[in-house]
Amino acid sequence: MARVILVFNKKVIKEYPFSKDSITIGRDEANEIVIDNLAVSGHHARIDKTGGIYILTDLQSTNGTFVNDKKITSYKLQHKDKITVGKHLLFFAMSKQEQTKAKDEELDKTMILDTAQQKELLEKQAEKKAKDVSAQQGKTGVVSFIDGSGEGEIQLTKKLTKIGKAETSEIRLGGLFMPPTAATISRRPNGYAITATTGKTKVKVNNKVIKESYYLKDFDTIEIGSYKFQFYSHDIENEK
Amino acid sequence: MKISAAGLSDVGLKRERNEDYLAMDNSTKLYIVADGMGGHLAGEVASKVAVQIIQKNVNNWINKNSPVTEIFDFPDMTLSQRGNYLSSSIKLANRVIYEMSQEYTEYKGMGTTIVILAIMPTTIIAANVGDSRIYLIRGDSMEPLSKEHSMVAEQLEMGLISEEEAKISPLRHILTRNLGSSDTVDADVFEIEHVDNDHFLLCTDGLTDLVSDNEILNIIKNGNDSEHICQQLISEANKRGGNDNTTVSLIRVNKESDEKRGIIKKFHTFLKNKK
Repeated sequence: MARVILVFNKKVIKEYPFSKDSITIGRDEANEIVIDNLAVSGHHARIDKTGGIYILTDLQSTNGTFVNDKKITSYKLQHKDKITVGKHLLFFAMSKQEQTKAKDEELDKTMILDTAQQKELLEKQAEKKAKDVSAQQGKTGVVSFIDGSGEGEIQLTKKLTKIGKAETSEIRLGGLFMPPTAATISRRPNGYAITATTGKTKVKVNNKVIKESYYLKDFDTIEIGSYKFQFYSHDIENEK
Repeated sequence: MKISAAGLSDVGLKRERNEDYLAMDNSTKLYIVADGMGGHLAGEVASKVAVQIIQKNVNNWINKNSPVTEIFDFPDMTLSQRGNYLSSSIKLANRVIYEMSQEYTEYKGMGTTIVILAIMPTTIIAANVGDSRIYLIRGDSMEPLSKEHSMVAEQLEMGLISEEEAKISPLRHILTRNLGSSDTVDADVFEIEHVDNDHFLLCTDGLTDLVSDNEILNIIKNGNDSEHICQQLISEANKRGGNDNTTVSLIRVNKESDEKRGIIKKFHTFLKNKK
């Protein structure tokens, strides 16, 4: 079994055997390793055991977590690593068996982290960051008609939104020369992309004719035939 | 529409067994790659069982034209019917693998990643769980059509770490989702319209851990024959250590076959002459 040894001012305070799947470190009493010092955050860091390896993760603490004097976000612990939390030191020690086992596990092995465990981990890490993240994540695209056709706003909730004359289109546009599908907007891993489907009907974004695909940014204007609309994305969560 | 598909799976240089599984079916236009994990034979079992369950059920639902409300689990209304077939078959495969791993000690802890590409008349559907990938290669650029379910990818997405940190992170190989570790799973599914000469690459982390996106793109751009490109990609991974099993599948979609173009041309000249 691995152990964590808490040291302060060159004196061993306590030894913690690693008997569970994870150990948390912080000032809050709910932690397994409680360090009552103002330099330590309430929930400062945690160590998770997965397979034969131990992973130390800093929970976005105010003063940071260091391993062998280097600041870390997440780190795979080795035998005899020195963890610094505030002015306290934590030495990590593995048993002989575990040391050999950890070596065997080295070879780029893929593992799965227990879902509850990882969710909690990410959530804690993210708590402070959440507000700064401005990425497209979780945002829903909207197209808003600005041509006076009175179509209003359409939420792009589907993975693939078809635009054209066909009855199956999510956004139906009329007009003599409008093809069944003039363009599509797809929700991809990197955001929303618009694709011109046929060469005949021109699809313009910000007054430029697009060939194939274009990644939409907030407030891009799209023109298809005589229709004109604007794209933007918004956070659904906030509206609830 | 003309589809040409090639695929190869290689054990690599450091592993004894190949736990990856590759299935290509040109008649149903369904292409699947899975990367199994788990001790002894469990990894091989998980990837193979997943692929077979998915193939069998998707084909069955297609034949019966099953409504999305009558297939496994709740439908996802943001997806097309076929998109739901893929997502639902993944959930079903997950349940089976999960139950097998609970039931038998030799299968304890087994799991697998999955990537599926389905080609429809005007669209493609990409579905994935885990860290195997699907790329779209269109013109000179390459972009992912899959989401990576790993600790590092999630940390990166939340803005907790930088790209540089991600590359060296010890959590690189720790998945947050796979088939088999929990009784339910959600796949990420994307649907996009395909254009002429789109290429799609399905691959396991045996390739992407060792060969960068740019290098992959170069090999594909400079190659001609799909089979030969697959061979090159695997050789490249093995040249750099071949740490893991590597599986790649390259699918090219040509919208109009030459024949059809010919007919349209003839028709056009016919119309012109008439005038």
